[in-house]
Amino acid sequence: MSGAARQQRPAGDGDARRGLVRRWLPWTCLGLLLFVGLFAPLIANDVPLIAKVDGQFSFPAFADLVGEAPPGPDDLSWKRWWSRLPRDGEDWAWMPPRPYGPMETEASRFYERPSFLHPLGNDDTGRDVLARLIHGARTAVMLGLPSVLLAGVIGTLLGAWAALSRGLVDVIVQRLIELFLCFPTLLFLLFASAFFGTSTGALITVMVLRFWISFARIVRGEMLSLRERDYVLVAQGLGVSTWRLLTRHLVPQLVSSIGVTAAFCMAAAIVAESTLSFLGVGPMAESSWGTMLRQGSEQAVFGAWHLWFFPAFAIVAVVLSCHVLADRLRSAATV
Amino acid sequence: MGRWFLVRLLWLLVTLVGVTFVTFAVLDRAPIDRAELEAEKARSVDAYVDSQHRDESIQRLRVKLGMVDPVTGEALPVGERYWAWLRNAVMLRFAGPGEDHDALWRRLGAALPVTMLLGGLSLLIAVLGGTLLGVWLGRRAGQRSERFWSSVMLVAIGVPEFLFATLLLLAFSVVWLQWFPASGLRSSGAEQWMFVWQVGDFIWHLTLPVLVVSIGPLVMVTRFVRDAVARACAAPFVISMQALGVEDRVMDRRLFRHGSVPVATLAGGLLPMLVSGSIVVENLFALDGLGHLAFRAVLDQDQAVVMALVVLTSLVTLVSLLVSDLLHRAVDARVRLSE
Repeated sequence: MSGAARQQRPAGDGDARRGLVRRWLPWTCLGLLLFVGLFAPLIANDVPLIAKVDGQFSFPAFADLVGEAPPGPDDLSWKRWWSRLPRDGEDWAWMPPRPYGPMETEASRFYERPSFLHPLGNDDTGRDVLARLIHGARTAVMLGLPSVLLAGVIGTLLGAWAALSRGLVDVIVQRLIELFLCFPTLLFLLFASAFFGTSTGALITVMVLRFWISFARIVRGEMLSLRERDYVLVAQGLGVSTWRLLTRHLVPQLVSSIGVTAAFCMAAAIVAESTLSFLGVGPMAESSWGTMLRQGSEQAVFGAWHLWFFPAFAIVAVVLSCHVLADRLRSAATV
Repeated sequence: MGRWFLVRLLWLLVTLVGVTFVTFAVLDRAPIDRAELEAEKARSVDAYVDSQHRDESIQRLRVKLGMVDPVTGEALPVGERYWAWLRNAVMLRFAGPGEDHDALWRRLGAALPVTMLLGGLSLLIAVLGGTLLGVWLGRRAGQRSERFWSSVMLVAIGVPEFLFATLLLLAFSVVWLQWFPASGLRSSGAEQWMFVWQVGDFIWHLTLPVLVVSIGPLVMVTRFVRDAVARACAAPFVISMQALGVEDRVMDRRLFRHGSVPVATLAGGLLPMLVSGSIVVENLFALDGLGHLAFRAVLDQDQAVVMALVVLTSLVTLVSLLVSDLLHRAVDARVRLSE
């Protein structure tokens, strides 16, 4: 029996290289998710990034990013207009790196296996699986990121306030935490998506209500011990304002524990979103990994493995990255 | 002890009222008019609603549903309607105004055993298996086998329930190996079988669902117990026991107690996991339990059932938190003595 101390083996050459991969893989995964999620319409779309129509420039993909793409010229869809462009004409268009939209069907490519043109294959209506996956990341990020950020800010502030002021505020915050701990999250998310239609606002609200308590608990607990430290006393004696004490001396100490919580909450948010879409009630359910997985598993009997495998892989990769990062941040914080 | 318990019980009630009020208020904010919905439903089943009298009948429905004041015809404030609901709920009448209370209870009563069986079995597996596995892993902290199983567990938490369920369904029931049934709780015609066969059939149907629901709590319990046992292993008493040459079997028993402390505190936190697990699993495997009922209620926008389910789940969660605190006091003397 070796006791509790985890023995560190001396790192050999191979270990170092593997360690490098291990260290960067989760970061890469999450970075990729955020980047792809935020800019999905610019990466995979059936409308051009820049188009010159009759001497006029237009930016349909960018319009898609912030709202809705304008209709294509000459009563054609952008894709057809683009494919019919004469080689030496005045007009031209620059398509996104992946020139397929998530909703763009192709009748000749039903159930197509992965190929060079479509690396992840096509689904039962000929939609490009890679393009759908990219837009699914957008759904996950658009729900997860705002709810985690908002919950982080609210939870940190409330937790810090409770720990610093003690007294009535502390009691109220603790009771609030207990109250929200009892909410059955998935049930509530179901209600939110059913009763409030397809608005993401309701879902984000529910997730914030659920997640802020995790931040508040962590921050309050750590702050209770931090506020007794000598340097805090010194700072208070020097007349540092509470806000400055909080932002310069206390919260920076908590960055790693807040990071752990944020990573866990991000994973939980992505799981919640894909679960809802899997059950068929989520907002924007058309392009979501959960929806893709449900549709893919229904068609798995026909031997179309690529329809369920890739969304499943994406979900596991992202959630696992969050957990690994959280694990690592936590062990870095406790050592 | 008695005072502590009373205060906790009081807080339980306050929290329950808080949870239900927040739920009620949230449902009230929903841009859905029950009366309009009912009128729409009536029209779709060809009960003719005269467009001239439509507004009138909607108003009558609103009165019936308790949404507006019957005399003045103005909308009642949320607080007043919540109070009306609460007075009914205390008498265990959860159905909406003018609806059949017994019918609602029959629906709940039919669904409850399925969910309790699913959750109970999963909890049993999670707590027993998790404690044993955790003690085993905790004693091997830092060794290769422990590191391997710990990373397996890390992957296991990364797999959401619906994904795990889907993969199991694909692998063992639909596509690859057709070993287990994909839906329901019993085979057709099982009523005529011998009792032993019926039980076997039941277990056969429950295998995959229970596996899915129990995996999350199992991993959670295992990790907590592993950390507690690993900490205990470094404690002086273990080293001196080792020096005295105590047998491994005896050591395991000693360490088991250390491992059981976190399980006691954890039991309350596992319940919400079971709730979300049962919603997913019951829908996927077509089991008629509370999770399925909740899903139906949400799709039908049936506020009465939703409220009843919220009361039920939060009550169970609160009671289990209370029980886990009690267990914690029973297992860990330091908590009792610190007061």
